[in-house]
Amino acid sequence: MANHDQTPHLPRRKRSARLSLAMMGASAFGLTACGQPEQTTDVSFDSPRSYQSVEECVAADVYTQSACEEAYEASIKEVPRFDTLEACEAEHGEGACVAPTQEQSQAATGSSSGSWFMPAMMGYMVGNMMSRSSGGATSRGVYQEPVYRNRQNQGNWNTATNQASQRVNQRQQTMRTSAAQNRQAATQRSGFGSRSSARGGWGS
Amino acid sequence: MLRIDVAERPNWKTLAHELGFHFHTIDGEPYWKESAYYQFTLEQVERDIEAPTEELHEMCMELVDRVCHSNALMQRLALPEFMWDTIHDSWVSGQPHLYGRMDFAYSGQGHAKLLELNYDTPTSLYEAGFFQWVWLEQAIAQGTLPRHADQYNSIQERLINAMAHIGDRLEERTLHFACIKDNVEERATVHYLQDVAVQAGLVAPFVFMEDIGYQKGRDVFVDLDNQPIRALFKLYPWEELAEDAFGERIPQLSTHWFEPPWKAILSNKGILPLLWEHFKGHPNLLPAYFEERNPALLPPGWVRKPFFSREGSNIELLTPDGQREAVDGPYTDSPWIRQAYQPMPRFGEHHALIGSWVVGDRACGIGVREDVGRITKDSSCFVPHAIV
Repeated sequence: MANHDQTPHLPRRKRSARLSLAMMGASAFGLTACGQPEQTTDVSFDSPRSYQSVEECVAADVYTQSACEEAYEASIKEVPRFDTLEACEAEHGEGACVAPTQEQSQAATGSSSGSWFMPAMMGYMVGNMMSRSSGGATSRGVYQEPVYRNRQNQGNWNTATNQASQRVNQRQQTMRTSAAQNRQAATQRSGFGSRSSARGGWGS
Repeated sequence: MLRIDVAERPNWKTLAHELGFHFHTIDGEPYWKESAYYQFTLEQVERDIEAPTEELHEMCMELVDRVCHSNALMQRLALPEFMWDTIHDSWVSGQPHLYGRMDFAYSGQGHAKLLELNYDTPTSLYEAGFFQWVWLEQAIAQGTLPRHADQYNSIQERLINAMAHIGDRLEERTLHFACIKDNVEERATVHYLQDVAVQAGLVAPFVFMEDIGYQKGRDVFVDLDNQPIRALFKLYPWEELAEDAFGERIPQLSTHWFEPPWKAILSNKGILPLLWEHFKGHPNLLPAYFEERNPALLPPGWVRKPFFSREGSNIELLTPDGQREAVDGPYTDSPWIRQAYQPMPRFGEHHALIGSWVVGDRACGIGVREDVGRITKDSSCFVPHAIV
């Protein structure tokens, strides 16, 4: 007997391995409940779930420990960071901000000694959007592909927004402006879509 | 490519409602139809649809670049002059786009012929990207399709991918979504895109186009709560945005738009004669001309389309043997093009049209629409497909 690989050659697959809806199918779990269980399939419709902590995520026994941890780290990276407590509170409200714990700082910036502030986390979401780091092999490959071809600087537009401090300044500016505007200026509306009734719809 | 009768899933209407697909029947007429499916070979999909779609997409990007650097071309496309800089700047600064759909006449043999681009406000996205995929999985599970059956469809996965990429570049990962009031199908399509955005980790509030607000002195449009709209996905065409009362505000404000302003170039049927001019003889293109300049260039066997129209409206065709067919509509206020008539493939009494999706810069799936008439309209049925 030859000892070569007996794995059958799998043809290329042109469809995604797994899809779900996060909010559209409100009664997604009704899929099995609507009778005829023999007609249900391995198509799964799960929504992102929210957890307070990694421990709670693990205890819920929906996701693996590593999925919970990776999702937590990814969430921490998304939390806005501020140079000062005042700047954070200006955005998120008095008393709403904390300094990160060592673990949070490590997860967010790779350094455990962060001198920055963030809104206290109310919890974090674990779901399919996290499968880029924690999901099955199929989605892992896909999520790491570049979305855009390298055309000019396509996609790198507006990179200034990555500068957190700049962002804060902009926001504070906007907030001041908008607070003033809310008091003074009336909002004009119906400036778009006015001709719609004549044409019914715009999709194509 | 075959049209094959197949048993419907017994529970599909219930499932459709559970999954938010409320427009599977429109005005009492079926829109989603699964009593048949279109069957392709892998070679047909990859060689005849996927590869040409990516090639044509690159040609389109090349043309966008040319138009952006030419006032004369902007003018030929009847783009409003006050938008020229905005269009140019959005392209040069690399504002990303989300998606588009090319419509092909393809019979399973020979070259797929590009009928038009829907690169600004394409719909039938949920049906193609999600519900069609569920159909395939369930048809396999129920034994109506063989286990090895497949589908050319990674549309939703790519959308999530592209949305995550866009989200990384948006302030607070927030993207507003908008469409007009009183259109169930468009609201559902936007709802689906919001769903995709949420799955990609974005914050995705909704506002109707009519409710978008403008406040003197602010640098962005605002939503109903007067919250800033820093970035907006609109299922609403650029030519209308520009004509609307707030149109002239667009260049003055810094709200980011999806699709970006440069998509105005590709949502315009004038792009078809430009493509033919620049890539004359390309096997996937049909001869096309600006009507005003070349009224008599095409012998009988042409289709006449306004620069701006949707859902088959105001399209008139004359077959080579003199049969005339036309769809009325409101789009009479723009210039016209003529395109060589390409017979739509017939399967029984049905004419089939292939919509080939591009997300980011990748071709990633198809949806098939069929109609007993030669012109595909908003009432044409969506029929799923499989690779077998």
